[in-house]
Amino acid sequence: MRVLIIDPDEARAALVAEGLSEVDPLEVTRAPSFEAIEADLARLSPDVIVIACESPDRDTLESLKEASQANPRPVVMFVDRSTPGLAEAAVTAGVAAYVVDGLAPGRVRPVLEVAMSRFAVMQQMRADLEKARADLASRKTIERAKGLLMKARGLDEDAAYRALRKLAMDNGRPLAAVAADLIAFAGVLKGDDT
Amino acid sequence: MSLEQRELRLGFIPLTDCAPLAAARELGFFEAEGLSVTLSREASWANIRDKVAMGALDGAHMLGPLPLAVSLGVSGQAAPMVAPLALNQHGAAITVSTELAEAMRALDPQAMAARPCTAAPLKALIDKRRAEGAPPLIFAVVFPFSSHNYLLRYWMAAAGIDPDRDVQVVVVPPPRMNARLAAGEIDGFCAGAPWNDAAVAAGGAEILVHAAEIWRCGADKVLGLRADWARDKPLTLRALLRALLKAGAWCDSPEGRAELPELLAGGAYLDVPSPVVARALGQGEEAIVFHRFAASFPWRSHAVWFLTQMRRWGQIGADIDIPAAAEAVYRPDLYRAAAAEAGVPAPLVDEKVDGLHAGDWTLDEATAPIAMGPDLFFDGRAFDAAQPDRYLAGFEIARR
Repeated sequence: MRVLIIDPDEARAALVAEGLSEVDPLEVTRAPSFEAIEADLARLSPDVIVIACESPDRDTLESLKEASQANPRPVVMFVDRSTPGLAEAAVTAGVAAYVVDGLAPGRVRPVLEVAMSRFAVMQQMRADLEKARADLASRKTIERAKGLLMKARGLDEDAAYRALRKLAMDNGRPLAAVAADLIAFAGVLKGDDT
Repeated sequence: MSLEQRELRLGFIPLTDCAPLAAARELGFFEAEGLSVTLSREASWANIRDKVAMGALDGAHMLGPLPLAVSLGVSGQAAPMVAPLALNQHGAAITVSTELAEAMRALDPQAMAARPCTAAPLKALIDKRRAEGAPPLIFAVVFPFSSHNYLLRYWMAAAGIDPDRDVQVVVVPPPRMNARLAAGEIDGFCAGAPWNDAAVAAGGAEILVHAAEIWRCGADKVLGLRADWARDKPLTLRALLRALLKAGAWCDSPEGRAELPELLAGGAYLDVPSPVVARALGQGEEAIVFHRFAASFPWRSHAVWFLTQMRRWGQIGADIDIPAAAEAVYRPDLYRAAAAEAGVPAPLVDEKVDGLHAGDWTLDEATAPIAMGPDLFFDGRAFDAAQPDRYLAGFEIARR
């Protein structure tokens, strides 16, 4: 079976391709966009096209069915109407699949399952990285706010932290948000906005 | 009574006609109705369709024909949908490369200078190119089931061009039209605002004809929702419609016109410079309309028009019951319930005949008289939704 993976995120496409090599003897081609592969499509004649939902190419891909008269290409359709829930899960995971008409649904399923789980892995990695970055940024903000309080009110580090935490609790807001406000207000008081 | 659901996720595509959704979010119309709405910018109409059909979105900015196509099962997995509100009229246009416009002008300068510009010069050029053995010209639309696809085909066919045989019609996402035109991969396109003006601003493109010139006050985008969602959450639906009705009225107000370019220009919505958005909102007759002229009313006759075009171009068969499909999807009754609560006058008729009014007129069959705009088709045809078969039989170029 020939699978074409269209994903602007090359790292994720590689991850999906790697996962597919374990599934079945498959021939996998990767492309960052449909435009990049369009000229080769007839030669590749994929049985399944796996595409990232965030790619804008889905509309073009769907229209191939319409254009097939002028330019013969595989008839494609959204995956496997016979398996309830699969399409929902796929779209939620951020991946869609187009399948050559007549291909047994059972053959497509493992491909899509690999793609879905690899997408989820990548999403988790991205989320973790984002969170780590945000944590680091908020720690820096809190440190700065603490520094401002220590300087302005002559507090020691612990007392400055307690003051900040009390402010956060009184306002029902995250510590980092209160710290960011404090820095912004301090800037205004110093006249940084002019 | 309390709403069945307070937190909603609505999808949109970066196009000027998402304005009522954007305004409702940014100006607090959703909040005022007790709704907390997240707007999700989507990359494709297929995503919008699938996410609404599968419940990942509660509703979305949709091409007018899309909820019909999904309900009929001809686009994606079949899922009954409803369109209880229209979002706009006008905004789309047919844009071609400067090179193509010049070639057309060389053949027929008079027709190119006339307004509205017909496809006669294009027909002459196609005939010339065929005689020379040149490849067919390529035109892009945004989706197979779109007012853009049907308007482009309608405009071409009126001049004797068969859009399936004489040119190649392909699908390209609106934000990419300009790049593909600049690269010479397509020769022209029909898409919504602001992408025509964006192509002109980038240079190398010319707008030939606006949607408003092909069909004045014609149908365009709608709010699309799953039918079971609309049925199970009537209070939430009415709150959503009230918010969008008020937002649409604001979009048409002088204040709204002044503020929309800035509001839409940012990365959260269109990501296009605000002067381009301002130009694409249009002036006078070509201006995008959100609220005036009963623009937000989901005319059942508009649904019938879309369905006649779907049949005309072979997307649906003669077995489809057009009036029944229109009635199941386009829901003026849901609109009226919300409009009454919002204090917005609503038509009391579900259909109107288009192509009869050359000037402004008043719709008296309404909860209060509504000032309406002209509704002519550029080729002088009239469309009566009560007789779709007769209307279809009048077209020489059609797949049947």
